[in-house]
Amino acid sequence: MFRIITAAAIIGLGAVVSQAESVPITGNVSSKCSIYTDVSGVYGNPTPDTLSTIPSDGGVYPVVRYAVTSADEFIAKVSWPNSFASAPSLTDSVVWDGEVTVSNTSDAGMSGYEAAKVEYENVTEYDLTVAGSTWFQVESTVEYGFGKALPGGQYSANVVAECIAK
Amino acid sequence: MKTFIAAVVALLTATAASSHEWTPSYPQFKPSFMEGIAVTTMTIFNRRKDISYYEVSVLDEDWNPVPFASTRKLINVEYLERQNVEIYLREVDCDRVEYICTTSKILERDATSSGVDSRICSRV
Repeated sequence: MFRIITAAAIIGLGAVVSQAESVPITGNVSSKCSIYTDVSGVYGNPTPDTLSTIPSDGGVYPVVRYAVTSADEFIAKVSWPNSFASAPSLTDSVVWDGEVTVSNTSDAGMSGYEAAKVEYENVTEYDLTVAGSTWFQVESTVEYGFGKALPGGQYSANVVAECIAK
Repeated sequence: MKTFIAAVVALLTATAASSHEWTPSYPQFKPSFMEGIAVTTMTIFNRRKDISYYEVSVLDEDWNPVPFASTRKLINVEYLERQNVEIYLREVDCDRVEYICTTSKILERDATSSGVDSRICSRV
């Protein structure tokens, strides 16, 4: 009797084991550019008429990371803001300024990116000649009117990060 | 201690990171089931928690818009979702198309989200 039960159990287990199937995982590595928003920026308000992402002004630099899988196939364009996405009603002029800089790289071959960057208007262009990740930090400052205090409220402005295939 | 701090920093960075992908980088148009109309299929992958809408645009080499058709020009892609997007174009326009782009769209109520508009352009 015990032998029969044991044999049945073995057959049962065998049946269970035989149901196992291999599950394939497929993937494809192709030329690709991904834009990561690693750090959200924050405006500090060091003086009544100024907003700034500079840490010494109480701000936080927004940081954008570009990850490219192929060398020399993409151009990164990062633009500092030149208008508010949302703000209280402003009645005087607003002066925008900014600067985009490489803050970190995943490859020593990217060390020349900063020197080779091209700037026009509020846009900074980088030729991504090396595969890997590059981090860009964006400085943004806003000055309001002439000796006028910014109205109280929530202010937000957007950095534009573009990755364009060559 | 240094390893622990590095691990915490790496974890925080990995948690905070979010991205937008638009592939293939070099799409090719092929004839569609309609005469005189070409088609290509693009894929969008949304790893941005703060964004769920992306706008598709088709542009020439001077960044002027080129007319195209798609099921949606404003795509609703939820976090960690991947979607295929078919882009239909007149065959006469195939030679002048240079870029197919997606741009993240921030909802007005989320204007304080991450403060980054991302745009990725594939080159035809």
